[in-house]
Parts: sequence; C-alpha cells; structure tokens
Amino acid sequence: MPALYVMIPIAIIVVALAIWLFFWAVDSGQYDDLDGPAHSILFDDEDPKHKAGVEQAADKQDKTPPHA
Amino acid sequence: MNSPTACFHCGLPVPAGSRFQARVLDEPRAFCCPGCQAVAEAIVAGGLDGYYRHRTENASNPEALPRQLSDELQLYDRADVQANYVQHQGELAETCLLIEGISCAACGWLIERHLRTLPAIAEAQLNLSNQRLQVRWADSQLPLSQLLGELRKIGYVAHPYQADQAAELLQRENRRALRQLGVAGLLWMQVMMAAMATWPEFNLDLSADMDRILRWTSLFLTTPIVFYCCTDFFKGALRDLRTRHLTMDISVSLAIGGAYLAGIWSTVTGVGELYYDAVGMFALFLLAGRYLERRARERTAAATSQLVNLLPASCLRLDARGNSQRVLVSELSVGDQVQVPPGHSLPADGRILAGQSSIDESLLTGEYLPLPRAVGDSVTAGTLNVEGPLTIEVQALGAATRLSAIVRLLERAQADKPRLAELADKVAQWFLLIVLGVAALVGLVWWQIDPQRAFWIVLALLVATCPCALSLATPTALTTATGSLHKLGLLLTRGHVLEGLNQIDTLILDKTGTLTEGRLTLSRILPLRDLDSDACLALAAALESGSEHPIARAFGRVQPAAELISHPGLGLQGVVDGRHLRIGQAAFVAELSGQSAPGIPGDQGQWLLLGDQQGPLAWLVLDDRLRSDAPELLELARQRDWRVLLLSGDSSPMVHSLATQLGIDDARGGLTPDEKLAVLRQLHDEGRRVLMLGDGVNDVPVLAAADISIAMGSATDLAKTSADAVLLSNRLSSLVQAFAMARRTRRIIIENLSWACLYNGLILPFAALGWVTPGWAALGMSLSSLVVVINALRLSR
Repeated sequence: MPALYVMIPIAIIVVALAIWLFFWAVDSGQYDDLDGPAHSILFDDEDPKHKAGVEQAADKQDKTPPHA
Repeated sequence: MNSPTACFHCGLPVPAGSRFQARVLDEPRAFCCPGCQAVAEAIVAGGLDGYYRHRTENASNPEALPRQLSDELQLYDRADVQANYVQHQGELAETCLLIEGISCAACGWLIERHLRTLPAIAEAQLNLSNQRLQVRWADSQLPLSQLLGELRKIGYVAHPYQADQAAELLQRENRRALRQLGVAGLLWMQVMMAAMATWPEFNLDLSADMDRILRWTSLFLTTPIVFYCCTDFFKGALRDLRTRHLTMDISVSLAIGGAYLAGIWSTVTGVGELYYDAVGMFALFLLAGRYLERRARERTAAATSQLVNLLPASCLRLDARGNSQRVLVSELSVGDQVQVPPGHSLPADGRILAGQSSIDESLLTGEYLPLPRAVGDSVTAGTLNVEGPLTIEVQALGAATRLSAIVRLLERAQADKPRLAELADKVAQWFLLIVLGVAALVGLVWWQIDPQRAFWIVLALLVATCPCALSLATPTALTTATGSLHKLGLLLTRGHVLEGLNQIDTLILDKTGTLTEGRLTLSRILPLRDLDSDACLALAAALESGSEHPIARAFGRVQPAAELISHPGLGLQGVVDGRHLRIGQAAFVAELSGQSAPGIPGDQGQWLLLGDQQGPLAWLVLDDRLRSDAPELLELARQRDWRVLLLSGDSSPMVHSLATQLGIDDARGGLTPDEKLAVLRQLHDEGRRVLMLGDGVNDVPVLAAADISIAMGSATDLAKTSADAVLLSNRLSSLVQAFAMARRTRRIIIENLSWACLYNGLILPFAALGWVTPGWAALGMSLSSLVVVINALRLSR
C-alpha cells in the first residue's frame, strides 16, 4: 500500500504532462487537417527518398547473412 | 450507341475528331480541350504522373475554373496589395492561398510535390479539409504572380487568402472544442481509476486513510472537467432557463452539477457514494458527440464561404489619353472610364460610352439569353460582357451597386427564416419534466421513510437517468447521414436540413441553372441548302473555335478556320477549305452573298445563321437544355403531394413551355428578387414549409429566407453561402436520394430516442428503490450509449 503514496502523485504529474503535450499539439495545428495525412501514406511509393530508403534496407538484408 | 470517350484529365466527353492527345502513364490519352491537355503535359513533364495512378476523382476542368489573366496576376506583386496577406521574414515570404479545383486527396499530393520541386519554395503545406495552402518561399526569385501561375499550370486556381474574423473565430472554437474533449478523456481515465477503487465492488482492503486520499485525488482531477470542459453545457443551460426553454443542456447540467456537488460533500464528510467517474464519462461522451457533429457540418462549408467574389478583382481603367491600365476595383472612383473586354464581368454599375455588345445578366435576373446593349444603356456590376469590348463610365461602386442592394435584401431575408422544431428538443423537454417530477416524488417518499438516504437516492436517480444516450441519439445519426450525403454529392452546411427535409410541403424551383443546365447548348441544326447538318456543324465549329465568346463553347474545339475576324455584336468570319464563311446574325451573314436575310423561323432560343458567298447554309439553334434528371425530382414531388412553384426572373415564353413540359401548374416568369421574396412570404403566411432550389444571385434572398434552401454546385458563391446545403454534384437525382436518406435518418433518430427513453424508463424504478450503485449506473449508461452509436452507424451504409 505505501507504494500508492508515491504512485498517485506520479500519476497526476504524468496526466499533467500529457495534457500539456496535447495542448501544444492542438495549438501547433497538428489536428487542423484530419483528412489529408490519412491519404499521404498512399503516396510514399512516389517519393524518391522513401524508395531509396526501402532499397537500402533491402540491400542490407541481402548482404548480411541470417544468423544460423 | 457507343458513348463518347471521357477526357483523361477531367472526365468530360471528348468531342468527336478532337486532336488533343498526350502520353500519360505510358499510353496515349485523349483530352477534351487544350486546357486539359496542357495541364496533363505539365504534370507529366514534372514527373508527377503518379497523380493519375492515385486519384480517386476526376480533376476539375481547367476551363471551368475562373480565368486569371497574367496582367491581373501581376497586380498581386505590388507591395501595397501584398501588405494584407504576405508576411516577410528575412529572405522568405509567407502566405496562405485558397485553392480552387481540388477534387481528391491526390490533388493535395500533386500541389505539394509540384511546388517543392521549385527551387524558390522552402515549404508548401496543403490543408485538405479547408483547401488552404500555406507556403513559404523566396519571393525575390519567384514573384507571387508566378507562384500562382505555377499552380494554374497544373490545373488549380489560387486566391490570396486573408482570414476574416468569422474564419478565425471558427478555428479558435474548433481548437477549444478539441482541447475540451482531450482534457475530458485524459482526466476521466484517471478519475475512473481513483474513484472505482473506493466502490464496494472493488474495495478489498482499502484503509480509511487511503480511501480519503483517493476521494480527494478524484475531486482534484474532476474539478477541471467540470469547470473547463463542461462550461458550454452550463452556459447553454443558463441561456435556456432565461428564455424558459427546457432543453438537453439543462438536463445534462443538472446531472453533472448534482454529481459533482454531491461528490464534494461526500469527499469532505467521508460518507456517501462517489459519482466522479460518471461526471467524466458524461463529459467525454457528450463532448465527443458534439465535436463530431461540428466537424461534419463545418468541413467544406468553411471553404465555400470564403469565396464570395462576384466582382472581378481588377479592371482596365482608361486615363485621359485613352491608355488603359490595370488597377484593382477598389481603386476605382465614380466617373472613371473603364474598358471591359468580351468575356469579362463588369466591375461597377455604369453607362456605356462606346462599343456594342450583349450582356449576360442570367445570374442577376434569371434571363437566360444575353441581352443586346449599346451606347447610352445602363449596365450592372457583376454581369458578364459577352460579345464586344465596351467602354463604360462608372456610376456606382461597391455598396451603391444594384448587386449590393440584393445582398442587403439577403440580410433582411435571413431574419425571416423560420426555425424548424427539432425532434430531440421536443423529446428532451418531456423527458426533463418527467425526470424532475419523478425525482421530486421519490425524494418526498423517501423523506418519509428514511430522511438519511433520501438525498443519495434522488442523486442516484438523477445520475442514472442522465440523458447521455438521449443527447447522443441525434448528433451521431446526423453526423453519419451527413457523411453519406457528402458522398452522394450533397453538402449540408447547416444542422437542421436533414430533419427539416421531412417536414417540407412546398417546393420552389428556379429555372435557369437549376432546372436547366444554365448554359447554351446546340439544340437543332436546320440545313437550308445542299450541305447536311454534320457538315454545317463542322464548318460552324471551325469558325467558333477561334472565339472567346461563351456561345463558342457549345460547339466544342476543333481546328480553327483561317483568316478569322470577329465582328462584335454581329458574328464571325473566316475561311475553311478556301470557302469564305460567316456565322452570326442573319443580316450580317446574308451580306456576304448579297442576298436578303431570311426571317428567323422560330422564337425559342438563340438563332445563328451560317452562310457563304452563295447564300445561307443553315440555321443553328442554341438553347438552354433541361437537366435530364429534372423529371425525376418532380415525380418525387408529386408522390409526396407537394405544391411545386417555378419562380423565374426570365421573362421569355420558355418559362411556361418548360412548366408545361414538366407538369408544373404554378409558373411565374419575369420576377425580381423582391417579388420572389414576396411569394415566399405569402407561402409562409399560409403556414407552408418551403424548400427552395436555386442558383443565381436573384435567388439569394429567397434561399436565405426559405425553411430549407439548396443551391446548385454551379451556383454563384453568394447563393452557395446563403443556402443550407449545396448540391455539389449538380445532379437533381442526388436530391431524390437525399430525401430517402432524410427519411431513414429520421427513423434512426426515432429508434435511438426510443431506446434511450426505454433504458431510462427501465432503470428509473431500480434507482427509485435505491438499488442502483455508481458501478451499475456507469455500466448501464455506457451500454445504452454504445447501442445508440452503433445504431447510428447503420446510416453510413
């Protein structure tokens, strides 16, 4: 039980932090467009940087042999 | 019959024999016009043809978007013009642009990617929900006018956007609503953990000390929920009490306030039940319902409301020596001389000093044919100069124009708008009366039996019967239905439309642009000599292809004739295959062959004569075509036994012939906006519930005053903003589907309300007997709310 004496204040602090973070996110406009970002993932394949990253990752996998 | 190929870019039919082609995605594609072809080529050249792979909707036709001239764009480079909406930070400038022509998510990707490939652009971010583009760029390398030109190249029109007060307020409120929702959610979870530990169901070995700490903790965490998240409910309740209305807000405030106050009491004294978690749950559920409803309503409404530009942004002013200079309309003053080229709208009311032309006043008056105007005639701001260049003397500007008079009429009309009673409000009223009555009775009875428990039992009763599900019943159903209607192409901008559609008994229709397409199309060809209609049409199209005239659009685009000369007010002249041809007014065409002009054989529509040096070849009749799904809408009106009126500003016989064709008994032509409004007032006095369907500026006052108004998607911006809904698809058949959807929505709302009332009725006796603990109340409420939400989701299918 004594653990609760510590845990309750910590819980309150964590909530306060979460609310502060949420307010910051809302104020910086991250929730202003709730439609666009949902589609942006579809266009990753058109992004040369993304493609390069995927290829690089694939190369690495080929070169390092799996641990037996 | 094989259907014509659709334009690869915009989806419109490709005219036969069109040569507009380009390679996109490794295949040759056909386009309907040079505009689409140019846009597609620009997109492919930029390596952005992935757009065509990912788009879900066809793009907008670039020729249908407002035209922006390069010298008009250059006005935007002037520092005094930019001062309002461009901010400078060192090398970089920052501005917000409102984009027209966005049809799906791929457009957003295309715009952002295209801009980011330009070296001068530091950052470009498009908000798809409100179609605003935030861009930071080095304007020393790329002037604003070129930036707008770049967007034009890929098929979008950008307007510099300056947030007005209403838009800023909207954004602030949206963010506040989201913050309230988030805080309620985060805190509720903590409160639930602390408060539930004290319930006897979970309380195994809680020491008295710990119990006290948990009570105080949950009080501490609940306080922001009540005072920050729920302020709107309390404010609403106060407002409704003052106006002596019993509404949902009062009921909700009573439950939240009661549970909170009782919680304080039991925290301080250490006896009694804790209802803190119920407070958090109410707050979260109710705020979520309201937030969803708000988002559904404001989605694209915000985007359309910004574009109330009936007047051109700039015009050509003539100085004393007759040189023209492009200036902003706001820089004009009365007495200035202004030159208006054909195809442009008039910036001010005035008198014609030189030139001869015809003026398209369809938006203002509903007349569907352009009317001839010559020197000395008065012209009105906002109308379109169709044929020849005009020089006008400015007589009235801004608020003094006839256009503004209609806008003022609109403001008066808005005050007349009757409010349709909403089902949920009526139910809430009865619900509240019954609950308060029962609570008083139960309190009184328990006071006799056990005064100690009376207070707690009344509180349990109030909390258990809090109309959580009841107040979620309507918003969830409306939100889902609004989303489904949006997919059908009907955008609801105000909340009462869906419920109101069921109460309508009168339908007022406008003619031009609403029942008809609102633009001239070729309806008949009468050959007069050896050439057949197809050959005549080919010749006519060759002549018209070089013209900017709106009539020319009816012919589609082909290879233009040689030696084209335009004679304003008369017609066009050119050479096709060595044959000298003229098209236009009969006398002008007959002059070429030296014969006398034949008389016009009919009265309806615009008659053009085509002729060569040997004499007239054919009559071509242009007319405004009836929308193909108009009969469907009228069939529905007949089924539902509505009274249908056709009110048009057009004074031509077409109003009555159209009414006969569609079976409308009551058709009135030649009405001014004032007279239209008077008809509506009379209908209101008869106690009728009116649905108005219109598109022009002359319909705007009636749109604003009708019980429910719907503007066509092709309507003027002012009509769209004053209407309650916009028919984006321009298909009247979507409207028929909307009526069916409105009925289904009403059924779901009634089901939801009945379920919520049933649940509350069932739990009432148990609460009155004192058997309902906070745990059971929480379980019951979440389950009943869940049922309501799931039931509402059925509307999305």
